[in-house]
Amino acid sequence: MNAIIVSAVWGVVMMFCSFLVKNKGLYRHIATFGLIILLIAIFLNAWGINIFDIDDHNMLHFNNFGTAFNTIAIACTLVYVLLTGKEVEKYGKYSAEYFTLIFFSLCGVAVLSAYNNLLMLFIGIEIMSIPLYILTGSDKKNLKSNEAALKYFLMGSFSTGIMLMGIALMYGGTGSFQLEVARVQGLGPGKSLSFLEVTGMLFLFVSLAFKVSAAPFHFWTPDVYDGAPTVFTSFMATIVKAAGFVAFIKLLEVKVAETGIAVDKLIGINWQLLIVILIIATLLVGNITAVFQQSVKRMLAYSSIAQAGFMLFSLFSLNDIAHEGLLLYAAAYSLATIGIFAILVKMKDYTFEGFNGLAKKQPLVAAANTVFLLSLAGIPLTGGFFAKYYMLASVMKTGTYTWLVVVVVLFAAVSVYYYFRVIQAMYFKEGDAATEEFAPSFKFALVALAALIIAIGIIPSIVLNLFYF
Amino acid sequence: MLLNMLIDANVKNTAANYLPIGIQLFFAAGLVAFIMIISHLVTGPKRATADKLQTFASGIETHGNARSPMAIKYFLVAILFVLFDVEVIFFYPYAVNFKQLGWHGFGELLLFVGFFLAGYIYIIKRGALQWED
Repeated sequence: MNAIIVSAVWGVVMMFCSFLVKNKGLYRHIATFGLIILLIAIFLNAWGINIFDIDDHNMLHFNNFGTAFNTIAIACTLVYVLLTGKEVEKYGKYSAEYFTLIFFSLCGVAVLSAYNNLLMLFIGIEIMSIPLYILTGSDKKNLKSNEAALKYFLMGSFSTGIMLMGIALMYGGTGSFQLEVARVQGLGPGKSLSFLEVTGMLFLFVSLAFKVSAAPFHFWTPDVYDGAPTVFTSFMATIVKAAGFVAFIKLLEVKVAETGIAVDKLIGINWQLLIVILIIATLLVGNITAVFQQSVKRMLAYSSIAQAGFMLFSLFSLNDIAHEGLLLYAAAYSLATIGIFAILVKMKDYTFEGFNGLAKKQPLVAAANTVFLLSLAGIPLTGGFFAKYYMLASVMKTGTYTWLVVVVVLFAAVSVYYYFRVIQAMYFKEGDAATEEFAPSFKFALVALAALIIAIGIIPSIVLNLFYF
Repeated sequence: MLLNMLIDANVKNTAANYLPIGIQLFFAAGLVAFIMIISHLVTGPKRATADKLQTFASGIETHGNARSPMAIKYFLVAILFVLFDVEVIFFYPYAVNFKQLGWHGFGELLLFVGFFLAGYIYIIKRGALQWED
């Protein structure tokens, strides 16, 4: 509850700063300060101290998993603002408003990590997405940005419509919006779920798969991520996407856990098979298409689809390793992607050729970028390795569809190709990579981030033990 | 028999619950078909000419293109009006349950209005309602 209220209130504070504070350079420092307060608030929450005592009528349920994810999301946003906050000021004179929208989006993330009621799921998704529609179109003079915003808005509202229909059908089937009620009524001994609930669940499934850009609902992703200003793509592709997965896993887990009923027995549909198809389609589309990209930004958009395919494993296995793995994945993937985007923003040329010879000009930046790319590819000693390891371990623990592991390793090998193309361009190709000025503090932050990713790769328990009690 | 079913449907939690909706759907679709058929049978011959097909409003001839650019101010004022209009709608459920909700509900309403007020101050200060440049 702390995080929800503090993020909403700080959003309003940022909004008022836009006309109260004349110095535009101050906005990102105010945002950083707000994020630190938010981080303290969520830590207090984890220790059981609630600043605000509000009766939420059991619509929100704060468990360790949700709080841990929320902490990771806020910490990643803090890293994001520290690294790329200055770039936000490039897009027009409304940079305070952009930070406002980021705070509101974080409020949605906080709701999603704690929802216990389908209405809260809907509100969380909306609070999280609507600021993103605006941020996507924030480069007002750029036609591609406008196109991306309209596309995202139209498709996003369509998926919201599907979600609402699903919630309405679930309500028709169970008579309640509460997740536990749906569970008790539908899955008691000798009972079967009604047709309405099956259909409703499928609709929810589709709309959430859209939000996390799982194939075949991924078509908006490349255009939107490519068209949006690079700074905001970084936010969308990491924190928001991971929040979509947390919402997804909460929805499925509540329907399955503690009832003793396996996923594949649920509601007459073989959910596990459904998710397996989703995983393979997502990995195929994401990895294969990423290979053919010329622009690094667009390659990262497809790579985010591919990474979503890996995160889908947590939905497939739904056990304790899956939960830990999702947290680790969210942290490792978000940090690495934020780092790459922070460097990409500074590049003049977004194609692979634009990175030619970066290692000679900026050895430190190139080294940090290499660590981020290795982490995304899942090479050992980086955070990405253990994230992928946990995902595969969770599948092995379920004992079904274990051949998936082989498929995934093959796709991970494909992903190595396009991540290494960037490394190859930086180190082994002659060229003059045109970049903007790298400030010493920025370089230091990049190196610190790379060190953090390596630290997660060596002792992943620092993420899990610190947050997941 | 049908009436009994309709009454029973309220009690039983079965697919028959949705029979009334099905009947309504049938009548709605039927009405559309009925009106379309009747209007084709009753009305006289159709001879379309360019003059007849023209958009017609209050006897004024059309001129110009409807898709000419317009000042963004109109949209801004219109959308802000809708926003605050919708806010009022949220007061109705509160007004209905005014007594039961007590001071707790009043506090929550104040919170709601407070957030809106913050937005309103922001709009004014940002000059969104300034008509003259």
